[in-house]
Amino acid sequence: MAKAMLIDVTKCIGCRACQVACKQWNELPAEETTNRGTYENPPDLSADTWTKIIFKEYGNDGTFRWLFRKEQCMHCTDAACVNVCPAGALKRHPTLGFVVYNEHRCTGCGYCVEFCPFHIPKMDPHHSRLLGYGIMGGKCTFCADRVSNGLEPACAKTCPTGAIKFGERDDLIIEGKQRVEILRDTYPNANFYGEHEMGGLHMMYVLDERPEVYDLPENPEMPAAATALSVAEWTGIGLGLLAGAGMFAAAIIARARIIAEEKKNGGD
Amino acid sequence: MEETEKKQKSLWDSIFGTIGEVIGTFINIFGFDDPGRPGVLRFSLPARTLHWVVAVLIILLGLTGLIIFVPGWGVAGLSGWTRIIHRLCVYCLTVALVIYFVSYRKSCLEYLKESFTWTRADYGWVKAAVDYYLGGDESKMPPQGHINTGQKIWQLITILCGVTMFVTGFIMLFLKGFVAPGVFQWALFTHALAFIIGGCMLIVHFVLSAIHPTMHESLRSMIGGKISVEYAKSHYAKWYEEISKGS
Repeated sequence: MAKAMLIDVTKCIGCRACQVACKQWNELPAEETTNRGTYENPPDLSADTWTKIIFKEYGNDGTFRWLFRKEQCMHCTDAACVNVCPAGALKRHPTLGFVVYNEHRCTGCGYCVEFCPFHIPKMDPHHSRLLGYGIMGGKCTFCADRVSNGLEPACAKTCPTGAIKFGERDDLIIEGKQRVEILRDTYPNANFYGEHEMGGLHMMYVLDERPEVYDLPENPEMPAAATALSVAEWTGIGLGLLAGAGMFAAAIIARARIIAEEKKNGGD
Repeated sequence: MEETEKKQKSLWDSIFGTIGEVIGTFINIFGFDDPGRPGVLRFSLPARTLHWVVAVLIILLGLTGLIIFVPGWGVAGLSGWTRIIHRLCVYCLTVALVIYFVSYRKSCLEYLKESFTWTRADYGWVKAAVDYYLGGDESKMPPQGHINTGQKIWQLITILCGVTMFVTGFIMLFLKGFVAPGVFQWALFTHALAFIIGGCMLIVHFVLSAIHPTMHESLRSMIGGKISVEYAKSHYAKWYEEISKGS
């Protein structure tokens, strides 16, 4: 049922057509940046850039390779951002499995920015730290509007080498693992990323090197503070109600006893 | 038969009395106290002013915080107005506390000393507390100082929770993005923890000081500053002895 995308980094040529297609379909403006001495541009994801290619210059025992990885929201099954969002602006699509962001519900607390293990969400550049207005700028939607109308996501559609594949998640896992087996002959560190991470990602990778070479966390986990916070919230609500009800009851009981005492004394 | 009827009647009296007290509390805030009334001065005018300034700011901070705390309620804070209020309140609170500390350093230090001084006498309060607060029975309560042990617990909690809130809030507000995400995450959790403890105790404080029948002059003392001599004798015997010796 769940849809997913499989990104085969060994087929990526760093043309960044996916970056452009994403901007075009989602009507995101271009960003003005300065030359940092790399083809990687813009430097980071932002409110206006929901996907980008990370360029890595990877040297290994006198050899040199250029590595590319498409970066965007990973659409985790157990998403930390969904757990911590107090407004319900970030939600998991129940059947397709994507993490959907509804900017009309976002109040701009920025918890998703701080809790995402992949550092994907970014605040709107116009937000104010000291006064607190502004919202999360937006992130990959998995082209939910296209997918729900039977189209494939814009990046997958445009990819000229077939490095981005869209399809059923279960099928893509099998396909990706087969590809990893083939790659192992040339790249002994080749691995499949995303099958079990964060309860299963909906953006999965075929990698020819260890995940950390590609700036991916080896074992991403739900931040313990996120779980602790959910527990604290429900406990806190319970304790608050208990404290209120208990104290009012105590006040009523104490008053009743005092009144009874007075009546007894008055009666004598 | 008559006995149960009487009991029921006094329970109803009590419930109506409590409701009356809640309504009275809000009316009372708008001045029912006559400053010329005879009695013992318990809280100075600056201390009372600070109390009410802090009270209003803390309630606003608490309510705007509650919106983001209860899962799903956060959406009520659209366009971030709750966070704007939360920040403005904390800036005002900081300024108010700094002004008070600079102007009345001695009274601040006394307050701190009072909150952190714990003696064997405090155990007596703990032992008698259930009968006192649930039964309205004053007979077992040992003589108390300027503040009783319960009030001391509350002062201590306001200080500890306040400092925790301030430090974790500072991290989230000014150091966001500069510290590791883990620091922000645990700061947020600790902020929530202090909110739970402080918030629950604030409810307890409100009921005990404004509604509970045994502490019936508590609110009055925080508005007009004075309590009656009888109330001072019965509730703060040790303190009353001290101040009457001094004068």
